[in-house]
Amino acid sequence: MKDSRIFIRMSGLGGQGVVTAAHIIGVAAVKDAKYALVNPFFGAEKRLAPTESYVRISSEKIYDRGEVNYPDVIMIFHPHVITMGKSYTMPFYQGIRENGTIIINSDEAVAFSDEDIAAFKKKRLSLYFVPATKTAMSISGTALATNIVMVGMFVGITKTIAEESLRESIAERFGAKKFVASGSTAALDDAIKKKYAKIEQLLESNFKAVSEAIKLSSAIKSVI
Amino acid sequence: MSKRITEMCPALNDAMPTEYRELVENGPWLGDKTVKDLGTFKELLEEHPLCAGCNLALSLKIILSSLPNPADTIIVGSTGCSSLGFMQVGIHNIHSLFGNQNAVATGVKRVLSMRFPDKKKDVVVMAGDGATADIGLDMTIHSWFRGEKITTIMFDNELYANTGGQESGMTPAGRVAYMAPLGKKFPKINLFEIAKTSGCHYAVLLTTANTVRLGACVKKAILLARDVGPTYVQIHTPCPTNLKIPPEESIKVAKDSEKERYAFNEYVSEAAKSFLENTGNKK
Amino acid sequence: MSKKNPLTEKPLDYMLFKAKREKQFITGSEAVREAVRRANIDIAISYPITPQSETMHLVGDLFAEGYVPEYFRGENEFAVMSQVAGAAMAGARVFTATCGPGTMRAFEVFPMWSGSRLPVVCSFMTRGINAPLTIQPDTIEMAFLLETGMIMLHCETARDIYDFNLAAFIIAEEKDVHIPVGVFMDGFFVTHTRELVDIITEDVCLPKYNPQAAPVPTIDMETPPARLMRDPFVMKSNFVSYVAHASWQQEVRAAAARSKKHIKKYLGELIEIENPAAPTIIVASGTAVSQAREAIKLAKEENIDVGLIKVKVVRPFPKDEIVAALSKAKKIIIPEFNIAGWLAKEVAAVLPDNGRIVATPRVYGGMTMPPEILLEDIKQAVRKQTQ
Repeated sequence: MKDSRIFIRMSGLGGQGVVTAAHIIGVAAVKDAKYALVNPFFGAEKRLAPTESYVRISSEKIYDRGEVNYPDVIMIFHPHVITMGKSYTMPFYQGIRENGTIIINSDEAVAFSDEDIAAFKKKRLSLYFVPATKTAMSISGTALATNIVMVGMFVGITKTIAEESLRESIAERFGAKKFVASGSTAALDDAIKKKYAKIEQLLESNFKAVSEAIKLSSAIKSVI
Repeated sequence: MSKRITEMCPALNDAMPTEYRELVENGPWLGDKTVKDLGTFKELLEEHPLCAGCNLALSLKIILSSLPNPADTIIVGSTGCSSLGFMQVGIHNIHSLFGNQNAVATGVKRVLSMRFPDKKKDVVVMAGDGATADIGLDMTIHSWFRGEKITTIMFDNELYANTGGQESGMTPAGRVAYMAPLGKKFPKINLFEIAKTSGCHYAVLLTTANTVRLGACVKKAILLARDVGPTYVQIHTPCPTNLKIPPEESIKVAKDSEKERYAFNEYVSEAAKSFLENTGNKK
Repeated sequence: MSKKNPLTEKPLDYMLFKAKREKQFITGSEAVREAVRRANIDIAISYPITPQSETMHLVGDLFAEGYVPEYFRGENEFAVMSQVAGAAMAGARVFTATCGPGTMRAFEVFPMWSGSRLPVVCSFMTRGINAPLTIQPDTIEMAFLLETGMIMLHCETARDIYDFNLAAFIIAEEKDVHIPVGVFMDGFFVTHTRELVDIITEDVCLPKYNPQAAPVPTIDMETPPARLMRDPFVMKSNFVSYVAHASWQQEVRAAAARSKKHIKKYLGELIEIENPAAPTIIVASGTAVSQAREAIKLAKEENIDVGLIKVKVVRPFPKDEIVAALSKAKKIIIPEFNIAGWLAKEVAAVLPDNGRIVATPRVYGGMTMPPEILLEDIKQAVRKQTQ
C-alpha cells in the first residue's frame, strides 16, 4: 500500500491484555485524527491460550479486516509465543513486511535459528527485546500491567502515536464507563481494580508505566 | 377483551352466519359456565373433524366450556390430532410448530402482560403427549422452571395418534406400537411428578371419565396460573382409532385406567393453597 | 415492565437522514446495541452462542437501563425463536440474535415466522457450522436461509449494522410486507472489530409498533374472534388445501418483493455500484466487499481497472439490478466467505452468459481474505480475458 498504513500484529497468552493493548493503541490513533480498525483473533476466551489482536492505522479509510497477514509491526507479549509455538502464524514473523519491527517481551534474548536470523536480515527488520513484565512488576507491582508497558514500548520505539493521545486512551479505557469489555476481560478488569483503591490510582500507575516504558525504550537497541 | 366486543354490529347482523350470531349472543363469554351447563349455551367448539369416540375431542369440549374467562383467553396448540380441532374454536388460538407450544405461550404471555397490565389474559397450552413430553419436553419444563404463568394441558393418548399410532414417552412399558414392535422398553414418563418438582403450583392427573371434575380442575388450573404460577393438567384421552376401541367404549377405557395408572391425583403447592383459601375457592 | 423509555419517537426517515450523528469508535456488536436502543422494541430474547453473545449481553444492558421493557434468556435457539414468535403474534416488536449452529438449531422456526407473517428482526452474526467444531467467521448459514421467506440484508461495516438494524424494524412492519428481516453481519470480522461509526446522538427513537395496523390479526383477544372454518383444510388432501398452501407461499414471496420499495426508500438501492464501466467487476456481499475494495486499490496501482457491486440485499434477490449492472462486464469475480459459493450460484442463476463468472476466491473455516489473494485472482481473470 502506498498510503501511510501501519498494520500491527500482537501475539500473547490469554490474560496478558493483548486485546486491551490493541484497543488502547486503536483509540489513541483515532485521537490522533487517523483511521483505525481493531479486532481480536477470534478464539474462545481462555487464560494462557494463544491470543492475538490486530490494529490497522492509516491516514486513509481502511476497509481490510480480519487477521493481519502482512504486518509492519509484530509485538510478542510472551517468549512462549515463540519458544512454545503459542502463535497462530508459524513462524511468528511470517508475512512481516520489509523494514518491519518486532518487539518481544523478554528479559533475555531468545535464541533464534540461523534460518530465522537470515530471514530477519533479508527483510531488514529491527528486533527489540523489552523487559515489559519486569518493568510492570517494578512500577505497578503486577504482571497485569505488562500490556501497558508493551504499549509504551511500541510508542517509544515506533513513534506512531502521540504520547498525549495514548494517555487519553488509557484514561478512557480504565476510567470511563463507556467501554464495554467482554465477559472474561471484565472479570480481569475487576481483579486489577481491586488492587487499587481508586481508579485514579490505577490510572496514575498506568501513566507511570507508560512513561517509564517510553523512557526505557530510547535506550533499547535493535539486536539486528 | 371487553365483553362488549363480541356484540354484533347491527348492520352486519343479517349478513353473518347463524352460527356466529349464536356465538355472539349466547357464547360462554362471562366465564361462569360449567360442564353442567352444557346444552344451555353456544359452545366455542361444536363441530370438529376428530374421530368418533375421541376422548381428546371430549376433553377439548369440556375444557372450552370451563374457561374462567374465555373473552380473554388465548390457546396455544401444537401439531397432532388436537391441532385439527383448534381452527374451529371461537377464540384466538395459535398453531406454530410441533413441540414449541410452551415457548410460544411464554412469548404470548410475557407480551400480553406488558400490553394489558390492567387485564387478566389467560394463556392455555393444549397439546398431546408427544408434543409435551417428547419433542417439546425441554420447553415444557423450562417454562415451569421460569415460572411462566401459563396452564399446560396434556391430552395423553399414550401414543402418536395423528401419525398412525407410534410409541411415545407416555406409552406404558411393554405396549406394542409402531416403532416399538417388540413392546416399549421403558416406563411411562412421570411428567406429573416432574411438574411438582419443576415449579408447577398445581398439577393434576385425571381422565375424561369424570367430566364435572375435569371441568372444575381445568378452571382451577387456569385461575392459579393467572395469579400464582405454572399449572399442569394431564388428561388420559385413550384413542379409539389407534387402540382399536369401539367408539362407544372409549370413555370406559379411560374410566378403567383410573383403577391403575390414572388414579386421580392432585398436587397443590402451599402458595396455591393459600391463594385458594384467600379467594374462597377452596374446592 | 421496567423504566420508561426516555426517548422521543421520530419516523425512520428522520432517524436515518436528519438526526444529528457523531463518530464513535465502536464494535459491530455495540452498533447493534445502539440501533436497538433507538428501535423502541417491546421485548428481546437471548441465548448464548459465540460470536453473537456479546450483542445480546449489550441488549441486556439496554433492558437494565430501561430502553427495552422485557428481556430474558431462553433455553435453546429453537425455543427462543418460538418465544420470539409468540411475542410477535401477541403484538410486540421483538428483537433477537443468533448465529451458525444456533441458526441451524432454530431452523424450523424461520419459515414459520414468514408463513405467520411475523415482522421479527433477527441479527445473524454469521459463523461456521459444525462439524468439526468451529466458532470462526463464515457465511455458510446464509446459504441455508435463502428459502425461508425472510428478507435478508447483508452488512459490510458497523455503520451498515447500525442503519440496517434500525431500518429493519420498519421495513418488516410495513403493512404490505409484514415478514421477518434477517440482518446478517460477518461474525468477528464486523461484530468484534472496532471502527468509526456515525451514531445518532439526539434523544430519539422509532415510533412504537402498532399491532392493530398489522395485516394479520394479533393474537390478543382484542379483535373479535371467529371460528376460522368448519372443516379445516390443514392436513386434508383436497384441492382447497393444496391451493391454500401454494398461494400462501406465493404471498409470502410477494411480500418480500413488495419490500423492495421500502428498502430503497430507507437504505438506498439494493446494490451499490462503483466504476460500472470497468471490464472486470467484483460482485460481493458482507465483508468480502471490504476486502474487494482493498484489492481494487491494489489493482489500480498496477493499472488494472476493476469495478464493484456491493449486494446489500440478498432476499428479495436484486435480479434485475445485478443483470443490468453486469451487462457490459467481461469478467465477473465473486469472492465469498463460505465453501458453497451461494452468491455466485445466485448470480449465475439470473445472468445471461454466466461463463463470465469467476467464482473465487472462497475463504472458509474462519480465515481472513487477504486483498493480495483477491488481486491474484483478478490478474488471472484479466489474463484469461486478454488471451
